[in-house]
Amino acid sequence: MWRTNLQVGAVVLGTVGVYTYIANTIPQVQSDVPTELTFTGEVTAEQLVAAGDELYHGAGGCTACHGLGTRAPHLLADEAGTGMIGERCSTRVQGEDCKTYLHRSLIDPGAHVVEGYQPIMPDMSRTLSPAQVWSMVAYLQSLGGEVTVTGADIGEADVPAAGAGTAGPAATAPATASLEPVELLRANLCLTCHVLGGEGGAIGPALDGIGARLSADDIRRAILDPGAEVTSGYEAFAAVMPRTFGSQLTAAQLEALVTYLARQQ
Amino acid sequence: MTRRRQWLLPCVAAGAALLLAAGAGFAQDVAAGPREYGDFPVVGGRVAVWIAAQVHLMFAAFVLGVPMFAVVMEAVAIFGKDEKYDRLAKEFTRLLLIAYSATAIWGAVLVFFLTTIYPRFWAHLSEIFEISMWFYVGLFFLESFTLYLYYYGWEKWKAGRAKYAHWSLGILLNVWGTAVMFIADSWLSYMMSPPATVAADTPPSAIGTWVAITNMTWMPINIHRLIANVVFGGAVVGGYAAYRFLAARTEEERAHYDWMGYVGNLIAIGALIILPFAGYWLGREIYEYNQQMGITMMGGFMSWLWIVQAFLIGVLFLAGNYYLWIGMGRIPGAERFAPYTKWLLLVLVLGVIVWATPHTMIANRRELAAMGGTHHPFLGVLGVMSAKNTAVNLMILTTFLSFLLYRRANKQPVVAWARTGTRVQGAAFVLSAAIVLFYGVYGYFVSAIVRIGFSIYQVTAVLACILTVITVDVMMLRGATSRGAIRWGQMPARSQYALFVLLVTFTWLMGLMGFARSGIRQHWHIWEVMRDTSPWAATPALGYAARVISACVLIFLGMIAFIFWLGGLVEKSTLVKSAGLERQEPARELVEAGGA
Repeated sequence: MWRTNLQVGAVVLGTVGVYTYIANTIPQVQSDVPTELTFTGEVTAEQLVAAGDELYHGAGGCTACHGLGTRAPHLLADEAGTGMIGERCSTRVQGEDCKTYLHRSLIDPGAHVVEGYQPIMPDMSRTLSPAQVWSMVAYLQSLGGEVTVTGADIGEADVPAAGAGTAGPAATAPATASLEPVELLRANLCLTCHVLGGEGGAIGPALDGIGARLSADDIRRAILDPGAEVTSGYEAFAAVMPRTFGSQLTAAQLEALVTYLARQQ
Repeated sequence: MTRRRQWLLPCVAAGAALLLAAGAGFAQDVAAGPREYGDFPVVGGRVAVWIAAQVHLMFAAFVLGVPMFAVVMEAVAIFGKDEKYDRLAKEFTRLLLIAYSATAIWGAVLVFFLTTIYPRFWAHLSEIFEISMWFYVGLFFLESFTLYLYYYGWEKWKAGRAKYAHWSLGILLNVWGTAVMFIADSWLSYMMSPPATVAADTPPSAIGTWVAITNMTWMPINIHRLIANVVFGGAVVGGYAAYRFLAARTEEERAHYDWMGYVGNLIAIGALIILPFAGYWLGREIYEYNQQMGITMMGGFMSWLWIVQAFLIGVLFLAGNYYLWIGMGRIPGAERFAPYTKWLLLVLVLGVIVWATPHTMIANRRELAAMGGTHHPFLGVLGVMSAKNTAVNLMILTTFLSFLLYRRANKQPVVAWARTGTRVQGAAFVLSAAIVLFYGVYGYFVSAIVRIGFSIYQVTAVLACILTVITVDVMMLRGATSRGAIRWGQMPARSQYALFVLLVTFTWLMGLMGFARSGIRQHWHIWEVMRDTSPWAATPALGYAARVISACVLIFLGMIAFIFWLGGLVEKSTLVKSAGLERQEPARELVEAGGA
């Protein structure tokens, strides 16, 4: 009987031991809590790269598309024989150096869409502070290239909060003071992705007839929390719409927009 | 001083030291005023709650899975008029009585830990869910007393209409248990996917209980756990039977526990086959709720976890099939299927290799450089979902084929259309495999959004094959002659160790998936509503998690072994009494009692 007990015990311990060993031999990645960083004009390239690295793999949400399939170009690895992003950035657009190209790609992503990909990248200046955007540029430059971003690119008054994005986007100033709905749609770049009356892109669901599909409450919720209900067929782009409109629009602007869209029968 | 006392004193001293340390920590916190977090000596607060929650969950799965198993066995006994299934159901219901206490004890430990270590979080949760917590307590009472009636009324209501009433009690027991699980699931799923209307500054009093309960991942988790509990119940039954088989002293005992192990394995692997579909639904809902959470789970810091999961599921498929193949050695006529075994093994091994191929891993630059790109230059093509879905569907088909061969081994169909029926079954397998392969290959040439839809066609093809083949088989084997009775008990010992591997792997996998579900919240108690500001807020790496999971598994299996041992003590006294009362059927009583 004792022999049987020992054999059973050995099988149990051996199996548990093998699984524990395997789990300890693969790459160990801990998900750290985002920490807040502040920069001054004396910031070093290493500090910027470190902050950008943290943003890229965390709050920036870049890994949702880049490097995970066919949604967006690889940045950390070779892309179609052109090298990592730091290697190829200076030759992407004639007349634009690496720093300018990367910065523009982040704050005006529609300007230079890489061939073969859809223009799904959001304007990162809506969710990141200018200093955070510059730290991201520095990190991308470091991937095979020379870091030329300096403290001079960042205003001394600007205080980024690298990695704080997962705690919710920072409050953003309204893009316009207007209460006119179409002006609001244009100023907040809604028409970059949504089409209305023949104007706009086709990345997100059309706004034509949206009032017949959604109630005013649903429209309000879709603006404030876009990930809550994703229209069928657009799941792949669910993360593209910024979750910043709650702080970006004033209450009056939000209601004007909701009322206008609800009437689009 | 005896040796036992020599051991006892240091243990008592260590226990007292732990209590004193905990008490000192608690006193300091009280002195500092209201606090957000408590502490726990040695292992820290997080690990204490982690272990309490995980072990409680393992016991809960056991006490929810086994009644499902028992009530199905009782139904087979009633409608199939086979009393041995009734004895099997009763034997396991007896173990439930003791397991219930352990579940409740671990539940109490968990609540005490939460209230003392995470008081702010627990206050938030209890304010939202207080009504459901009262219901939970009420249902727990109903469940407990229904269990008492079910077990203690077994002999009294064993014939005629009373037997149906007794079976209804078993169904009722499952209803209460499922309701209890659904309520508890609402609390944890709320932590993952709070309704969109809830923000960080929303006071708990303003959050409707029903709105919080019916959050986006609630029902997928309910269904996933429901099926997983059946799998787990079957695996525990298999482990128990394996131990009793190895410890058996008579042929009757060995035959009984061999048969019990077979039934446990059949249920565990059978339910395992449909579990991935429920998991797929849960994953999809997580993605739809929040894509960032989905990416964290599948393509973020947890991406390596799925490689370990693939390895574990590979072990489950291989061990389950291995047990069946060995089992065919005790079935007359099974030798004609033996040549196919190596091909089935080949398909399974290739499937596991493909499934465990890493692909969308978060890698640093050094790792990318070493790999020569984001994916391995040759094997990377096997790491995408097209290949993995194809592999797992073919593994399911292969396992089903193993079951079919096992089932057909000693039967000789007598219907005139037997040859045609077998051809139809073969065609169903070939067609299903062809559809799975076609969409697997075609998936490489279409966009991701189209490719995701292909998995539904693959799953449908496999399920259709299973249904078609089973239907044909049942009709074809009506009145079939036997090539010889199954020689229950004539199994080599190594087959029983396969059942232990299955039990340990299922239990470990449960711990791993618990870590995955909880860990994707990262540094949030409640996703984007309540931030974890404790010293343990960082989500640990898989190696650390594996050590905690292993500790939970060993605690659970150790306690289950104790419960089984207690069950054995009860059996002995029953055997003496029964043997004295019904001497005309000593062998049967011995089998019923499980042996002394």
